[in-house]
Amino acid sequence: MQAPSVVHSTFVLKRSYPKPPKTVFSAFSEESKKRRWYAEAESNEVLQFELDFRVGGVERLRYKLKPGTPVAGMIITNESRYQDIEPERWIVTTATMDLGEKRILVSLIAAEFVETANGTDLILTHHGAYLSGPNGLTPPMIEAGWSKILASLETEVAR
Amino acid sequence: MEIGRIFDALGDPTRRAIVDRLRQGPLSVSKLAGPLQITVTAVGQHLQMLEETGLVHTEKIGRVRTCRLEPTGFLALHDWVQDQRSTWERRLDRLGELLAETDET
Repeated sequence: MQAPSVVHSTFVLKRSYPKPPKTVFSAFSEESKKRRWYAEAESNEVLQFELDFRVGGVERLRYKLKPGTPVAGMIITNESRYQDIEPERWIVTTATMDLGEKRILVSLIAAEFVETANGTDLILTHHGAYLSGPNGLTPPMIEAGWSKILASLETEVAR
Repeated sequence: MEIGRIFDALGDPTRRAIVDRLRQGPLSVSKLAGPLQITVTAVGQHLQMLEETGLVHTEKIGRVRTCRLEPTGFLALHDWVQDQRSTWERRLDRLGELLAETDET
Protein backbone atom coordinates (compact mmCIF):
# COMPACT_ATOMS: atom_id res chain seq x y z
CA MET A 1 0.00 0.00 0.00
CA GLN A 2 1.49 3.33 -1.03
CA ALA A 3 1.40 6.36 1.20
CA PRO A 4 -0.54 9.45 0.08
CA SER A 5 1.61 11.90 -1.82
CA VAL A 6 1.72 15.62 -2.52
CA VAL A 7 1.60 16.72 -6.13
CA HIS A 8 3.10 20.11 -6.94
CA SER A 9 1.95 22.17 -9.87
CA THR A 10 2.42 25.75 -11.02
CA PHE A 11 0.58 27.67 -13.68
CA VAL A 12 0.73 31.26 -14.89
CA LEU A 13 -2.20 33.03 -16.51
CA LYS A 14 -1.88 36.36 -18.30
CA ARG A 15 -4.63 38.73 -19.33
CA SER A 16 -4.71 42.23 -20.75
CA TYR A 17 -7.52 44.53 -19.68
CA PRO A 18 -8.16 47.95 -21.29
CA LYS A 19 -8.38 49.68 -17.91
CA PRO A 20 -5.70 51.31 -15.73
CA PRO A 21 -4.02 49.31 -12.92
CA LYS A 22 -5.94 51.29 -10.30
CA THR A 23 -9.26 50.01 -11.69
CA VAL A 24 -8.16 46.42 -12.13
CA PHE A 25 -6.61 46.43 -8.66
CA SER A 26 -9.86 47.69 -7.14
CA ALA A 27 -11.62 44.61 -8.51
CA PHE A 28 -9.38 42.62 -6.16
CA SER A 29 -9.46 44.94 -3.16
CA GLU A 30 -13.16 45.79 -2.98
CA GLU A 31 -15.35 43.00 -1.64
CA SER A 32 -18.47 43.80 -3.70
CA LYS A 33 -16.44 43.85 -6.93
CA LYS A 34 -14.38 40.77 -6.16
CA ARG A 35 -17.43 38.76 -5.24
CA ARG A 36 -18.88 39.14 -8.72
CA TRP A 37 -15.97 37.66 -10.65
CA TYR A 38 -14.16 35.57 -8.05
CA ALA A 39 -16.87 34.08 -5.86
CA GLU A 40 -19.88 33.86 -8.11
CA ALA A 41 -20.12 31.34 -10.92
CA GLU A 42 -22.97 29.60 -12.71
CA SER A 43 -22.27 26.31 -11.03
CA ASN A 44 -21.90 27.75 -7.53
CA GLU A 45 -24.16 28.90 -4.78
CA VAL A 46 -22.10 31.24 -2.61
CA LEU A 47 -22.63 30.47 1.07
CA GLN A 48 -20.12 32.93 2.44
CA PHE A 49 -17.73 35.50 1.01
CA GLU A 50 -15.90 38.07 3.01
CA LEU A 51 -12.57 39.75 2.61
CA ASP A 52 -10.35 41.75 4.91
CA PHE A 53 -8.02 43.43 2.43
CA ARG A 54 -4.82 44.14 4.38
CA VAL A 55 -1.58 42.30 5.05
CA GLY A 56 -2.48 39.61 7.55
CA GLY A 57 -6.16 39.85 6.66
CA VAL A 58 -8.16 36.79 5.67
CA GLU A 59 -10.53 36.20 2.81
CA ARG A 60 -13.08 33.41 3.14
CA LEU A 61 -15.13 31.85 0.35
CA ARG A 62 -17.54 28.97 0.91
CA TYR A 63 -19.70 27.70 -1.90
CA LYS A 64 -21.89 24.79 -2.77
CA LEU A 65 -22.08 23.14 -6.15
CA LYS A 66 -25.56 23.55 -7.56
CA PRO A 67 -27.85 20.71 -8.64
CA GLY A 68 -27.32 19.75 -12.24
CA THR A 69 -23.59 20.16 -11.85
CA PRO A 70 -21.16 17.53 -10.72
CA VAL A 71 -21.88 16.24 -7.24
CA ALA A 72 -24.51 18.75 -6.31
CA GLY A 73 -24.27 19.77 -2.71
CA MET A 74 -20.51 19.47 -2.37
CA ILE A 75 -19.25 22.31 -0.20
CA ILE A 76 -15.92 23.92 -0.95
CA THR A 77 -14.11 26.30 1.40
CA ASN A 78 -11.30 28.54 0.22
CA GLU A 79 -9.43 30.51 2.85
CA SER A 80 -6.74 32.99 1.82
CA ARG A 81 -4.39 35.15 3.86
CA TYR A 82 -2.94 38.32 2.37
CA GLN A 83 0.83 38.07 2.74
CA ASP A 84 1.93 41.15 0.81
CA ILE A 85 0.09 44.00 -0.87
CA GLU A 86 1.74 46.63 -3.02
CA PRO A 87 -1.14 48.88 -4.12
CA GLU A 88 -1.76 48.78 -7.87
CA ARG A 89 1.33 46.59 -8.28
CA TRP A 90 0.82 43.19 -6.67
CA ILE A 91 -1.09 41.04 -4.19
CA VAL A 92 0.40 37.85 -2.74
CA THR A 93 -1.70 35.36 -0.79
CA THR A 94 -1.40 31.90 0.69
CA ALA A 95 -4.55 29.82 0.51
CA THR A 96 -6.18 26.53 1.43
CA MET A 97 -9.00 24.67 -0.26
CA ASP A 98 -11.18 22.16 1.57
CA LEU A 99 -13.63 19.74 0.03
CA GLY A 100 -16.15 19.09 2.77
CA GLU A 101 -13.84 18.73 5.72
CA LYS A 102 -10.87 17.41 3.81
CA ARG A 103 -8.00 19.72 2.92
CA ILE A 104 -7.12 19.08 -0.71
CA LEU A 105 -4.91 22.01 -1.69
CA VAL A 106 -2.51 24.54 -0.21
CA SER A 107 -1.36 27.29 -2.56
CA LEU A 108 0.69 30.42 -3.02
CA ILE A 109 -0.93 32.92 -5.38
CA ALA A 110 0.50 36.14 -6.78
CA ALA A 111 -1.47 38.65 -8.83
CA GLU A 112 0.70 41.26 -10.57
CA PHE A 113 -0.61 44.40 -12.24
CA VAL A 114 1.59 45.81 -14.99
CA GLU A 115 0.78 49.16 -16.57
CA THR A 116 0.85 49.13 -20.35
CA ALA A 117 0.00 51.57 -23.14
CA ASN A 118 -3.38 49.86 -23.53
CA GLY A 119 -4.26 49.46 -19.89
CA THR A 120 -3.10 46.69 -17.55
CA ASP A 121 -1.50 43.30 -17.95
CA LEU A 122 -2.58 40.97 -15.15
CA ILE A 123 -0.24 38.08 -14.38
CA LEU A 124 -1.63 35.41 -12.07
CA THR A 125 0.85 32.83 -10.77
CA HIS A 126 -0.50 29.86 -8.82
CA HIS A 127 1.78 27.38 -7.05
CA GLY A 128 -0.21 24.49 -5.62
CA ALA A 129 0.53 21.57 -3.34
CA TYR A 130 -2.28 19.15 -4.20
CA LEU A 131 -2.87 16.78 -1.32
CA SER A 132 -3.72 13.08 -1.65
CA GLY A 133 -3.06 13.30 -5.39
CA PRO A 134 -3.69 10.47 -7.79
CA ASN A 135 -0.41 8.73 -7.01
CA GLY A 136 -0.69 6.17 -4.27
CA LEU A 137 -4.34 6.45 -3.40
CA THR A 138 -5.96 3.16 -2.54
CA PRO A 139 -9.68 2.35 -2.22
CA PRO A 140 -9.61 2.37 1.61
CA MET A 141 -8.02 5.83 1.63
CA ILE A 142 -10.43 7.17 -0.92
CA GLU A 143 -13.31 5.76 1.06
CA ALA A 144 -12.04 7.34 4.25
CA GLY A 145 -11.51 10.69 2.59
CA TRP A 146 -14.78 10.70 0.76
CA SER A 147 -17.02 9.33 3.46
CA LYS A 148 -17.61 12.75 4.97
CA ILE A 149 -18.13 14.27 1.56
CA LEU A 150 -20.69 11.70 0.61
CA ALA A 151 -22.39 12.16 3.96
CA SER A 152 -22.72 15.90 3.51
CA LEU A 153 -23.78 15.35 -0.09
CA GLU A 154 -26.60 13.04 0.91
CA THR A 155 -27.78 15.44 3.56
CA GLU A 156 -27.78 18.34 1.14
CA VAL A 157 -29.57 16.54 -1.65
CA ALA A 158 -32.16 15.15 0.73
CA ARG A 159 -33.34 18.68 1.58
CA MET B 1 -14.45 9.41 -18.86
CA GLU B 2 -16.59 12.46 -19.21
CA ILE B 3 -17.07 14.06 -15.84
CA GLY B 4 -20.76 14.71 -16.45
CA ARG B 5 -21.43 10.97 -16.55
CA ILE B 6 -19.89 10.53 -13.13
CA PHE B 7 -22.14 13.24 -11.79
CA ASP B 8 -25.15 11.64 -13.38
CA ALA B 9 -24.14 8.40 -11.69
CA LEU B 10 -23.90 10.06 -8.30
CA GLY B 11 -26.97 12.17 -8.90
CA ASP B 12 -29.24 9.24 -8.16
CA PRO B 13 -30.03 8.63 -4.46
CA THR B 14 -30.10 4.83 -4.83
CA ARG B 15 -26.69 4.80 -6.44
CA ARG B 16 -25.38 7.07 -3.71
CA ALA B 17 -26.80 4.66 -1.16
CA ILE B 18 -24.98 1.80 -2.91
CA VAL B 19 -21.70 3.73 -2.86
CA ASP B 20 -22.27 4.59 0.78
CA ARG B 21 -22.76 0.94 1.73
CA LEU B 22 -19.70 -0.18 -0.21
CA ARG B 23 -17.57 2.28 1.76
CA GLN B 24 -17.67 -0.20 4.59
CA GLY B 25 -16.30 -2.99 2.39
CA PRO B 26 -17.18 -5.25 -0.54
CA LEU B 27 -20.66 -6.78 -0.72
CA SER B 28 -22.47 -9.28 -2.91
CA VAL B 29 -25.24 -7.96 -5.12
CA SER B 30 -27.91 -9.67 -3.07
CA LYS B 31 -26.57 -8.17 0.17
CA LEU B 32 -26.75 -4.74 -1.49
CA ALA B 33 -30.30 -5.20 -2.72
CA GLY B 34 -31.85 -6.35 0.57
CA PRO B 35 -31.48 -3.23 2.74
CA LEU B 36 -32.22 -0.95 -0.20
CA GLN B 37 -35.48 -2.83 -0.70
CA ILE B 38 -35.09 -3.09 -4.44
CA THR B 39 -34.77 -6.09 -6.69
CA VAL B 40 -31.48 -7.66 -7.65
CA THR B 41 -32.24 -6.66 -11.23
CA ALA B 42 -32.61 -3.02 -10.25
CA VAL B 43 -29.36 -3.13 -8.30
CA GLY B 44 -27.72 -4.66 -11.36
CA GLN B 45 -28.79 -1.72 -13.51
CA HIS B 46 -27.44 0.77 -11.02
CA LEU B 47 -24.22 -1.20 -10.71
CA GLN B 48 -23.80 -1.16 -14.46
CA MET B 49 -23.80 2.62 -14.49
CA LEU B 50 -21.49 2.78 -11.48
CA GLU B 51 -19.10 0.39 -13.22
CA GLU B 52 -19.18 2.33 -16.48
CA THR B 53 -18.26 5.51 -14.66
CA GLY B 54 -15.39 3.86 -12.76
CA LEU B 55 -16.93 4.22 -9.32
CA VAL B 56 -17.55 0.53 -8.60
CA HIS B 57 -15.91 -2.71 -9.67
CA THR B 58 -17.78 -6.01 -9.71
CA GLU B 59 -16.46 -9.51 -10.08
CA LYS B 60 -18.23 -12.83 -10.43
CA ILE B 61 -16.65 -15.65 -8.49
CA GLY B 62 -18.59 -18.86 -8.94
CA ARG B 63 -22.23 -17.88 -8.61
CA VAL B 64 -21.71 -14.78 -6.52
CA ARG B 65 -21.17 -11.28 -7.93
CA THR B 66 -19.16 -9.16 -5.51
CA CYS B 67 -18.98 -5.38 -5.64
CA ARG B 68 -16.41 -2.97 -4.27
CA LEU B 69 -15.56 0.72 -4.70
CA GLU B 70 -13.15 1.59 -7.50
CA PRO B 71 -10.80 4.59 -7.26
CA THR B 72 -10.87 5.72 -10.89
CA GLY B 73 -14.15 7.61 -10.95
CA PHE B 74 -13.54 9.22 -7.57
CA LEU B 75 -10.12 10.40 -8.66
CA ALA B 76 -11.64 12.01 -11.76
CA LEU B 77 -14.10 13.79 -9.49
CA HIS B 78 -11.28 14.84 -7.24
CA ASP B 79 -9.25 16.16 -10.19
CA TRP B 80 -12.23 18.09 -11.48
CA VAL B 81 -12.66 19.88 -8.19
CA GLN B 82 -8.96 20.53 -7.97
CA ASP B 83 -8.69 21.90 -11.49
CA GLN B 84 -7.53 25.30 -10.40
CA ARG B 85 -6.24 26.45 -13.75
CA SER B 86 -9.69 26.23 -15.37
CA THR B 87 -11.29 27.79 -12.30
CA TRP B 88 -8.99 30.77 -12.53
CA GLU B 89 -9.37 31.03 -16.32
CA ARG B 90 -13.11 31.39 -15.81
CA ARG B 91 -12.61 33.88 -12.98
CA LEU B 92 -10.37 36.07 -15.12
CA ASP B 93 -12.94 35.90 -17.94
CA ARG B 94 -15.59 37.16 -15.56
CA LEU B 95 -13.22 39.87 -14.33
CA GLY B 96 -12.85 41.03 -17.94
CA GLU B 97 -16.63 41.23 -18.28
CA LEU B 98 -16.99 43.13 -15.02
CA LEU B 99 -14.28 45.62 -16.03
CA ALA B 100 -15.92 46.16 -19.41
CA GLU B 101 -19.19 47.07 -17.70
CA THR B 102 -17.85 49.89 -15.57
CA ASP B 103 -17.73 53.49 -16.72
CA GLU B 104 -14.45 54.10 -14.96
CA THR B 105 -11.45 54.74 -17.21
